[in-house]
Amino acid sequence: MEPVRVVDLGEVAPVRSQAVYHAVAYAMDEGTPDTVLLVTSSQPYVSIGYHQDAAREVDLEFCAAHGLPVVRREVGGGAVYLDRNQVFCQWIFQRQHLPARLEERFSLYVLPLVATYRRLGIDAYHRPVNDIQVAGRKIGGTGAASIGRSEVMVGSLMFDFDHELMARVLRVPSEKMRDKVVQGIRDYITTMRRELGDVPDRQQVLAVYLEETARALGRPLQPGQLTEREWEAAAELEERFSSEEWLHQKGGLRASGAVKIHADVHVAEATYKAPGGLVRATARIREGRIDDVSLSGDFTVLPAWAIGAIEQALRGLPLREDVLRQRVADVYRALAVEAPGLAPEDLTQALVALRGTVEGTP
Amino acid sequence: MGVYRACEIPETLYYDVERDVWVRLEADGTVTLGMTDPAQAQAGRIVNLTFKPVGRLLRRGQSAAIVESAKWVGPFPTPLTGEVVAVNEGFRRDPLLANKDPYGAGWLVRLRPTHLQEELRELLTGQEAFEAYARKIEERNVHCIRCAE
Repeated sequence: MEPVRVVDLGEVAPVRSQAVYHAVAYAMDEGTPDTVLLVTSSQPYVSIGYHQDAAREVDLEFCAAHGLPVVRREVGGGAVYLDRNQVFCQWIFQRQHLPARLEERFSLYVLPLVATYRRLGIDAYHRPVNDIQVAGRKIGGTGAASIGRSEVMVGSLMFDFDHELMARVLRVPSEKMRDKVVQGIRDYITTMRRELGDVPDRQQVLAVYLEETARALGRPLQPGQLTEREWEAAAELEERFSSEEWLHQKGGLRASGAVKIHADVHVAEATYKAPGGLVRATARIREGRIDDVSLSGDFTVLPAWAIGAIEQALRGLPLREDVLRQRVADVYRALAVEAPGLAPEDLTQALVALRGTVEGTP
Repeated sequence: MGVYRACEIPETLYYDVERDVWVRLEADGTVTLGMTDPAQAQAGRIVNLTFKPVGRLLRRGQSAAIVESAKWVGPFPTPLTGEVVAVNEGFRRDPLLANKDPYGAGWLVRLRPTHLQEELRELLTGQEAFEAYARKIEERNVHCIRCAE
């Protein structure tokens, strides 16, 4: 089979870091070689998923005030804050040159990323379908798209990641939720800096990545350039990706209301109107169980520390109505809780409402 | 109904096997299109979907919708040229319609075809369609599962 073209674009403007792999995909014809693109954004920005509602998912005022462009991609998933500390590794291949099954495409694509981390001394592994993890923490996500005659796989090498800004650029319903998102990212996202104590050299890491890519594909790699036609397509796409119309395009079905930290961890918030006031449950859900939860609202509970005790008692429980109801009722009884207009059933319903916000929760 | 590796391929429909799309001819001259069972199984749980607007004229091969599953985004291409006359609004209530019932409640779009006679010849139906699909399922090592809820 023909060698795979490798194009290392180094650092480019934010919108170009997104436009360029779409451009290679759209411009692909029979003669276009399978391509691995390596690219880093020279400036921080926010990338949003194909179907996301920008104004709903991202704090656009904050981004505008801080000069952060927001760019919609034609790949799925959620909003992510990106900067110079990630290198995108984008594969744009002729459809018939990658496995037809999505799971197999991901396994192949993830292989050299995992191998690169391992050669750096990081104990990374593939957590199917498309996460890469280190001891339960995610180190970079991946995504896939079918564009024109190509299959596109995207992902990144995570040199470092700005947890605080990631949480800051998201639009979340409350500051409590933001705190949980920051904490969730801190607890469940990792980077090369965190694992190694330092950021390794970009070129060295990329040399390892390319070696591992050639091995995974069983094909030689050949450094190359983009063609004039591909650059023209990139210029056109940059214009579209920079337009307000593209950014604010809507049409998706609905937003989930939860922030996905990684495949097994979500931060979600739900409210429930109880007779005694509005109850807000903000929780980190791990594998369908409550990892951490805060209950707040304009209600009165005695003893004052009872809510804290209930929050503690809920940790580790599955989001199952019967289980939650029982536990809340037990704490009410044990502490002789007095809460006018806030029965155990009201807290139970606020917690059960979390389920609807997290996709895939049984 | 033909079933191969748990993938249902009803013989009464027309198929663009390459594009993984089924076509049903309606009595009023329109056609209904949807994702086949192998297509929904390979895409995985659909989380989002955007339709081309009603009234839009689509050429054969153009996408009638953009489908997003948890890990992938891709087009839903039409195998027939025609005008979009309806889209399945049911997806707004339940994005998993095609994962649960790809040949029924999970249809995607309805078109008024403009080149039906010539383009229909490109599609397969009956036993021929089943056999072609079985080969593709084998080649791609697909096994179909449906979402229960």
